[in-house]
Amino acid sequence: MNIETVNDNEITTLKLEGNLDGTTADYAQEKILGYVSPNHSIIIDMEKCLYVSSAGLRVLLITAKQLAKIGGKGVFVNLTEEVHDVMEMTGFSSIFDRFETIDEAKLAIRKG
Amino acid sequence: MYRVDTYPTDRYGDFDLRPGKPIPFGATIVPGGVNFSVYSMYATTCELVLFNKREREPFAVIPFPEAYRIGNVFTIVVFDLEFENIEYAFRMDGPNDFQMGHWFNKDKYLLDPYAKAMGGRDIWGVTPDWNDPFQYRSKIVQDDFDWQGDKPLEIPMRDLIIYETHVRGFTKHESSNTKYPGTFAAAREKIPYLKSLGINCLELMPIYEFDEFENAKPSPVTGQQLLNYWGYSTVGFFAPKSGYAATGKYGMQVDEVKTLVKELHQNGIEVMLDVVFNHTAEGNERGPYISFRGIDNKTYYMLTPEGYYYNFSGCGNTLNCNNPVVRNMILDCLRYWASEYHIDGFRFDLATILGRNQDGSPMHNPPLLETLAFDPVLGKVKLIAEAWDAGGLYQVGSFPSWGRWAEWNGKYRDTLRKFIKGEPNQTLAMTRRLEGSPDLYDVKYRGASASINFVTCHDGFTLMDMVSYDHKHNDANGEGNNDGSDDNDSWNCGCEGETEDEGIKFLRKKQIKNAMSMLLISQGVPMILSGDEFGNTQYGNNNTYCQDNEITWLHWKQPEENKDLLNYVKHMIELRKRCNFIKSKQISDLCGDSIYGYPLISYHGVKPWEADFSAESRLLGVLYCDKSEILENQDEFLYVAMNMKWESQYVELPSLPEGYDWYIFANTDMAYGEDIWDLEDVKRLSYQPGINVSARSVIILIGKP
Repeated sequence: MNIETVNDNEITTLKLEGNLDGTTADYAQEKILGYVSPNHSIIIDMEKCLYVSSAGLRVLLITAKQLAKIGGKGVFVNLTEEVHDVMEMTGFSSIFDRFETIDEAKLAIRKG
Repeated sequence: MYRVDTYPTDRYGDFDLRPGKPIPFGATIVPGGVNFSVYSMYATTCELVLFNKREREPFAVIPFPEAYRIGNVFTIVVFDLEFENIEYAFRMDGPNDFQMGHWFNKDKYLLDPYAKAMGGRDIWGVTPDWNDPFQYRSKIVQDDFDWQGDKPLEIPMRDLIIYETHVRGFTKHESSNTKYPGTFAAAREKIPYLKSLGINCLELMPIYEFDEFENAKPSPVTGQQLLNYWGYSTVGFFAPKSGYAATGKYGMQVDEVKTLVKELHQNGIEVMLDVVFNHTAEGNERGPYISFRGIDNKTYYMLTPEGYYYNFSGCGNTLNCNNPVVRNMILDCLRYWASEYHIDGFRFDLATILGRNQDGSPMHNPPLLETLAFDPVLGKVKLIAEAWDAGGLYQVGSFPSWGRWAEWNGKYRDTLRKFIKGEPNQTLAMTRRLEGSPDLYDVKYRGASASINFVTCHDGFTLMDMVSYDHKHNDANGEGNNDGSDDNDSWNCGCEGETEDEGIKFLRKKQIKNAMSMLLISQGVPMILSGDEFGNTQYGNNNTYCQDNEITWLHWKQPEENKDLLNYVKHMIELRKRCNFIKSKQISDLCGDSIYGYPLISYHGVKPWEADFSAESRLLGVLYCDKSEILENQDEFLYVAMNMKWESQYVELPSLPEGYDWYIFANTDMAYGEDIWDLEDVKRLSYQPGINVSARSVIILIGKP
């Protein structure tokens, strides 16, 4: 898995590329949690992440819980239908709000 | 702070190891690795065999070091496993002596009896590679589901309305309009429907992992593959059926089931599992090695002195339920489902087997049943027995209960069917069934809540078929129509099977409404078979265990086509919910709390207070009366006239206190729109002294000021 990051003031976009599963979960968790800080928001771009396993979903849920703990915010963009459905069916759909594009996500974050 | 036991003590090949913990059994994720633990009393050695997902050849075989064995438990911690992608087996060596009951074979890959998930049958109906020596593959699961505050609902038994369904059949038909038909996820999409129906307990036919290909064969009628569709043949007691999960192909079935349970709970609906502990899928002496047979045949199965399997289940073998180790496994299993999955109750298939001794004889105080009745973790869980087995032990009314166990009341079913059909000699028996069968369930010790009342269940005709067929039509099952019960107490209303005769069609629907009326005004716990509320047919097949097709899949156009039935059932459920006095009140005191001195329940004939219990009587009036829980100093009255005779009868109504009148709530002889009313919209009877009850009809009246 490769994670590219783009910083825009108080918002960091993390572009996940590859499968988020048991083999990549530790790396992804460390990387994503590195951007979890107070008054900072993260956008997780899932366009090139086509598979999220059970372990991967837990990485995302733990990120959400950490953000909630410190008052940060996280959103998804570009979720594929398959990944979205898996999240929905396994009870992880409420982790983050979802947006179609990064611009929409940023707008929503800035509006609060 | 780091734990000392996160460091390995030994190395085997590429793997770091340390001695494991014997409890809990199974595979448990621990810091840095996975703890494996398996019991066998007679095995001499045990190996852990690791496979990458779906691969035929293992990537590692790790013998459990003798030094790691504790008592009769093999344990080991293996570090740094990428467990999500691993499927594992055990291989055990030991004696192989048929008469002594030992079946050890060191070449067989064995499923972990405590496997929390299973691969190998990931997607329903995908033909397995039969040449693969590793068919049923144990998996390791994470148990940190985010329940968000959910817990079992603990709805009192008396308030329960059970709805029995099959996970796949419930939504598999394309008309279900669900995204992933036939799955737990699709069942979740139907929660709004269940809520609108009004039931508050969803009972799922077996969802423990089973093999739909067990005894698969082509249908002699259609040529279509017949499968083990119902699943009353457990492969893994701790694992949910992967093929029922839309995410099973990803190994995420555990989270999918939990998500369904959580959302049902959020909507006020409990979840009950139909569990099969009486036998396993390993069958008789010719069956396959799956797990127990190769791990400890003598412990897990009841064996004859010659080493053969006892067959009290009718399925080839019998689980040795009152062996202390097996008892603990069953307890562990139920605790696991209650605590990890928040399951609200269990219905035990062929439960009398759980009360048999290791030699098969029935026990007076079976330790397993007692343990389950008093277990702290299961303390609020509902326990329901199917109180008979294939070995001839029939314990309806006498199942050892300790005040905790309820029973599927087969006698309730039989009496109602006979009465509805119009058989003689049923009115007196009907009074017992309406009262929660006090002849079977002593009011002092068990009460009406011990009686699970049903007219139909998965086993036998659907309600529509009960009024459409005199005989079973099971040819499609490939057993020459010899399978399934011949004692159906059914009546086709004048024509066998489908008909265009409007009179017959009307009568059939009326009989269904009659049955639903009786079921929902009976003390005890009603259970509805999924689809009966909208007239689902299985075309006269009364044993659809192998039919994974249109015969069993619910057609979701029927709720619209038979909206009169659905509307009727919804209203009856609403009536039951609103009238506490028809919900298993402790009726030892038949005087009740009426402020006018009426009994809580009383019986009537064509003349009030003169019930006719003679052989040829087919009319019964029942009057419920209790003090209103809402209005001060008022009574509530409910009068139900059931005329199962082929001609109408005029019934004089019991007189009401001054200022009270009779209002009509339901009349099954009327057409849709006039057959049942909202409780707020009941119509005052224009003639109060009496009412004509049409042939084979039920009339329900409400008495109020």
